[in-house]
Amino acid sequence: MVRTAAELPDPPADPADGLAAVVALRRLADRLEDASVEHAVRQGWSLARIGEALGVTRQAVHKKHGKRLAARGLERGRD
Amino acid sequence: MFERFTKDARDVVGLALEEARAAGAPAVEAEHLLLALAARGDLPGVDREDVEQALGAGEVRALAAVGIARSDFDLPPAAPRRNAPRWSASAKLALHRAVGLAAARHDRRITAAHVALGVLDAREGTVPRALDAGGIERHALWRRIDGER
Repeated sequence: MVRTAAELPDPPADPADGLAAVVALRRLADRLEDASVEHAVRQGWSLARIGEALGVTRQAVHKKHGKRLAARGLERGRD
Repeated sequence: MFERFTKDARDVVGLALEEARAAGAPAVEAEHLLLALAARGDLPGVDREDVEQALGAGEVRALAAVGIARSDFDLPPAAPRRNAPRWSASAKLALHRAVGLAAARHDRRITAAHVALGVLDAREGTVPRALDAGGIERHALWRRIDGER
């Protein structure tokens, strides 16, 4: 279903509510990224492919997740 | 900045860093200082579990405001981060308020109580909203800490 701009929900009336939602969404996105990257590596995805899917470089994925993945025994090569 | 912090206040700072790292957070936020204070028993009548519950309630409420149900996301527990978390603006602001508060009262050392008051003094952000969502009365807590100094 395609919604026009007029049909989208209004931002919360209180600015504090909208801003708090942004913070919570960023946090949720970070956690979803951690879980999704780990899942992809477990499925055999290379960091280059994960980077491509996220719209970032392989190096960016390595920098952000490399140590955590390695600590969980999920090291990926440069494939 | 930390040279005038007492050992207890430094403990809070160190423990907040550990809280952030264990939670997989990219940065130490004011809420990690709050968790550290609660874990150490620096918040009379409020333990770490109360703070954790309040933060969860705050997150649910924040997402609900834009039509998102937190319960729709079944994420695995956060994996501890290996990179040292950076210090966020919210945590720095809380520590600056603690220093300012001590200066205003002519206290030479910055104690864990000053840090607690600095964290609680936030006008906006995750901490005041979480305390509100969790039913923890911020001003009453402030007065209890201030009375114990």
